Amino acid sequence: MMPFDPSALTLEMLVAALGLGVLILGLIVPHGSRHGLGWLSFFGLLGIMGVALSMWGDNRELLSGMYLLDNYALFWKITFMLSAALVILGCMRYVDSMGGQAEYYSMIIFATLGMMVMASAGDFITLYLGLELMTIAFIILVCFRKMEAKSVEAGMKYILLAGMSSAVLLYGLSLLYGLTGSVIILEVSRIIALQPVTPALVLAVVMLVAGLGFKISAVPFHMWTPDVYEGAPTPVTSFLAMGSKAASFAILLRLFIAGLPGIWENWTMVVAILAAVTIIFGNLVAIPQTNVKRLLAYSSIAQAGYILVGLVTATEAGIKGVMFYAFLYVFATVGAFTVATYFYHVTGSDELKDYAGLSQRSPLMAAVMLVAMLSMAGIPPLAGFVGKFYLFKTIVDGYLWLVFIGLIMSMVSVYYYLRVALVMYRDEPADPTPIKLPSPVAVTLIVAMVVTLVIGIYPGPLSEVVNEAAHTFFMH
Amino acid sequence: MSDWAGVFIFLVVALIFGAGGIVTSFLIHPRRQNPAKLEEYECGLPTRGPTWVQFRTSYFLYALLFVIFDVETIYLYPWAVKFQSLGLFAFIEMIIFIFILIVGLWYAWKEGALEWK
Amino acid sequence: MLVEFALYHAWLVPLLPALAFGVIVFLTRPWPKLSAIVAVGSMAVACFFATLAAYGVFTNHEFVEKPLVYATRWFSLGLPGMPEVQIDVGVQLDPTSAMMLFMVSFIATFIFLYSIGYMEGDPGFSVFFSYLSLFGASMLLLVISSNLLQMFVAWGLVGLCSYLLIGFYSHKISAREAAKKAFVTCRVADFGLLLGLLALQIVFGTLNLTELSEKIAHFEEYTTFGMLTLIAVLVFIGPIGKSGQFPLHVWLPDAMEGPTPVSALIHAATMVVAGVYLVGRTLFLFHEVPSAMQLVAVTGGFTALFAATIAITQREIKRILAYSTVSQLGYMMLALGVGSLTASMFHLWTHAFFKALMFLGAGSVLHALHHKADVWEMGGLYKKMPITTWTFVIGGLAIAGIPPFAGFWSKDEILVATLSEGHYVLFAVGAFTAFLTAFYMWRMIFLAFFGEEKPENHPHESPWTMTVPLVVLAVGALGAGWVGTPWHNVWAEWIFFGHPHHGPVNYGAMLLSIVLAAAGIYLAYMLYLKDAKKKRARRLAEWFGPVYRMLYNKYYIDELYLWFNHALVDGTARLMYLFDIYVVDGIVNGIGGFAKLSGDGLRVFQSGRLQNYALIFFLGVLAVAVLMAFTGPSAASLVLGGVK
Repeated sequence: MMPFDPSALTLEMLVAALGLGVLILGLIVPHGSRHGLGWLSFFGLLGIMGVALSMWGDNRELLSGMYLLDNYALFWKITFMLSAALVILGCMRYVDSMGGQAEYYSMIIFATLGMMVMASAGDFITLYLGLELMTIAFIILVCFRKMEAKSVEAGMKYILLAGMSSAVLLYGLSLLYGLTGSVIILEVSRIIALQPVTPALVLAVVMLVAGLGFKISAVPFHMWTPDVYEGAPTPVTSFLAMGSKAASFAILLRLFIAGLPGIWENWTMVVAILAAVTIIFGNLVAIPQTNVKRLLAYSSIAQAGYILVGLVTATEAGIKGVMFYAFLYVFATVGAFTVATYFYHVTGSDELKDYAGLSQRSPLMAAVMLVAMLSMAGIPPLAGFVGKFYLFKTIVDGYLWLVFIGLIMSMVSVYYYLRVALVMYRDEPADPTPIKLPSPVAVTLIVAMVVTLVIGIYPGPLSEVVNEAAHTFFMH
Repeated sequence: MSDWAGVFIFLVVALIFGAGGIVTSFLIHPRRQNPAKLEEYECGLPTRGPTWVQFRTSYFLYALLFVIFDVETIYLYPWAVKFQSLGLFAFIEMIIFIFILIVGLWYAWKEGALEWK
Repeated sequence: MLVEFALYHAWLVPLLPALAFGVIVFLTRPWPKLSAIVAVGSMAVACFFATLAAYGVFTNHEFVEKPLVYATRWFSLGLPGMPEVQIDVGVQLDPTSAMMLFMVSFIATFIFLYSIGYMEGDPGFSVFFSYLSLFGASMLLLVISSNLLQMFVAWGLVGLCSYLLIGFYSHKISAREAAKKAFVTCRVADFGLLLGLLALQIVFGTLNLTELSEKIAHFEEYTTFGMLTLIAVLVFIGPIGKSGQFPLHVWLPDAMEGPTPVSALIHAATMVVAGVYLVGRTLFLFHEVPSAMQLVAVTGGFTALFAATIAITQREIKRILAYSTVSQLGYMMLALGVGSLTASMFHLWTHAFFKALMFLGAGSVLHALHHKADVWEMGGLYKKMPITTWTFVIGGLAIAGIPPFAGFWSKDEILVATLSEGHYVLFAVGAFTAFLTAFYMWRMIFLAFFGEEKPENHPHESPWTMTVPLVVLAVGALGAGWVGTPWHNVWAEWIFFGHPHHGPVNYGAMLLSIVLAAAGIYLAYMLYLKDAKKKRARRLAEWFGPVYRMLYNKYYIDELYLWFNHALVDGTARLMYLFDIYVVDGIVNGIGGFAKLSGDGLRVFQSGRLQNYALIFFLGVLAVAVLMAFTGPSAASLVLGGVK
């Protein structure tokens, strides 16, 4: 056995150190000057991202497959850190008004750490460890506004339902362990390929689908999503919508495509049907929503359905589609939710009708919201179109019905996305005072919009990076 | 085909068996109420006072801190037994581990978790 | 060293003004002065790089045969069962594009500079400069494109910018209408072009200019002659719209509703020459189809004459200039149609200088007279506005074709090319148009700048930001043609299609065009300057009353289109409207209503109760289990594994 090399965990250790450091500083620094913690977290994450870039191409297994280092994991890690950094940048004002900066930022960083562990997890224990680290940090974040009933209610719901889903996932994992005698994913994959398919194995897969389906809020495991999304502080919602979801997809791909390829025929159709149901349900229920956060919650359910499409074929192209879409989804989500965050910060409302005339009050906010939503709807030349194209391209052979459902529901989604645009651009504002954006928020918005546009117009470079990352997936 | 028919028949019979009892009892049960029937439980003592008793959250905080140091001790035992053969690396690791716990304690202390107000 | 850098980074030239657009829109919009500096500065730097790149190309003769092409993959589309479509974005530098690159950036720089003075105090100052920058960037992108799709994107951007700029004074209804007209007319034409490009992609599998030229040279391997003819005609529809050729010229004279620098930019450097440039770029396609060449030549010749006759009677200074542009573009098309890329590009080059000069001069006049546009109400401006007048006169001499001014050499080149290809009718048309051009141009000059002063006018010379560009462009209008004199034609050695052809100096044609130009100017002098009361001119108009009115109303083409619109388009539209309302909307609303209903229905499950959520979760687990049992490959054995 090779000696353990701690430098392989540089990123994780740095992130942990950053989280602890922010927490400690929060104890030392006086209340008045704690807003600097946000900047510290932001630049800290950016710096660690720089380190991460230098680790590109370092592909190996640690501890006989317990921990996997490859471009695949690294791409996800960078995505997580990027989304965390953008969330922090966009919400500093909001957090300053809420108080508890140190806890808030360190929890975001610890959640990021959990996601990063998930992305690299090569065995069930590590996977579960990362998942719980992320979930517990999120539970704290969801009920961060502890004086507000809605926030606490959301936290309560999240902790109970997440606990339930974790239990189901654990049952599934322990069934797999019982059947194969191993917790290491690659090992499990080898053993399963030799065994006949038994009902117990199918049951294990069902439980995995349910447990992770909860995290990505696939229908019918999505019930928590709208309530928790609405109740949680908006930046947390956005991080929940992209980070938690992306991390769960990272591990979903690892578990199913690397761990269970032997019984591919058994789960592929189920995943396809889940994707279809999720797309249909998310888009349909989003239509009557009048609260922007709830609308975004349902739209994020629908988006999860689209991403799930990439899992159906269990090929490199599918993995690539998932990663590509997850990456651009980060920017669309950051854009839309940062607008919602700041709008709430200024007006104290999340209701769609209060967004009337936003284009006059703040053209940038309205434009970013529009671009983000059109991207989610998959309108060219925005990034969402390219992403959907890559995803659905993989299933044109064999799952044409799913392609049709995806297309039709995309059109349906345009309806409610444009409804928001209509309110923002056509209606007269009740209160025409312009909204002044502080520069961190403006920068976040512009970054989100520009990246969404650039990826849409020139997807080549990102597509190549993702190709390289997806390629290392099968190397172990 | 025959396999499936078996399952189906089993399912139907099970449904009828379960639902039948409920429906029948609903149809024929006498609809007379008296105080005893409306009790929560037909045996035991009636409850007194409010049922929702609130605990101080400080209990939980103490409990959590206790558990943390409990776990720490459990980790320290095997480490201490094998200390000679593990070498410097394990020593540094344990220091980091304890450092993280100390930060936690510090945090809890500073935030007032140890004060009983 | 620097030249090398400019050659291999020519994409910087369009990128810089594009960045200026972004910077102005997002950052410097509140500070007009700063925005102007950003716009002019970026264009000047772009011009610097363009000059270096052009220097690099024109000192290295190998680029004539082998253009410098570098590209990067834009996107590739691959669907199972279809050949992969790969689209690049890139740069193609050869003498033609290098010349255009230099010309566009050079003229744009001075128009930008001029705009500082012209637009001073306008509330939309910064916005105007951001649009101008985007306009310049789009045109430069179009010029360096190495493939037709990229060119089409730039082409569309140019159209968009022209829409924004023509309609810049959006408080004026006429400006809004003109902008709409320009955009719609061009879009109609673009559709033809788009179809042509699609056909090219489908038939030849590429839109890269170099690859296309190789493949079309032996097109028999790919398609039939009929198909190629169709493609050529479809592609030509785009330039008809963009370059204001008959019958889609109607938008161009109206386009002067925009601020004058915009008119100058549209008419001289960008936009309208895009069409000529596109035909020049795809001449290898037209070359294979003689009938398409014929079409180009006839369209060009007819437009030249047609527009010149209209220009004779117009009264507004910018409208006269606009029709002269249409006419000159006709010349360029004519040259392309007879197969002379050399003459066409040469005329494009000289025309850019004198037309930009004259538009800016007209702008200077309008600026001084507070936007009084009728030439009959001007007069005697030369006393108060010497710089404007004398530069304008240089422009007038150049466009009339008096040696040694620039227009003479290029017009002569076109006429000689037409003659040597044996198109005698077209030659006659061209020569007669040259006479008309000299006449209407000098009619305008005599009326506006000379003669008696009108007491109600209080003209004054414009600020230096406006006069400096005039002087610089006047120098260009004087000397830009010397690179292509018949005795020592440097131009023809660099820019040609096929192989350079260098006929003997045709003194006859040269003499004829000088005589015609002089006659035109003399006639104008007699009618409009010598005869101070303009009696003879009035009498002429009365004698030819119907003709005069027809010309003045531009052959009633606008009215014809309007009638056509009303009778046919509106009628059809009404029918379609009814169909739309009752059938299409019915279906759409039905779907939408269904979606909404089901959305409302599904919403019921979202009760907010935790117990229900947990219940649904476990029902979901159950459902997935059942699903998996039924969809797996050996379903029965899975469920009843123990039983069997």
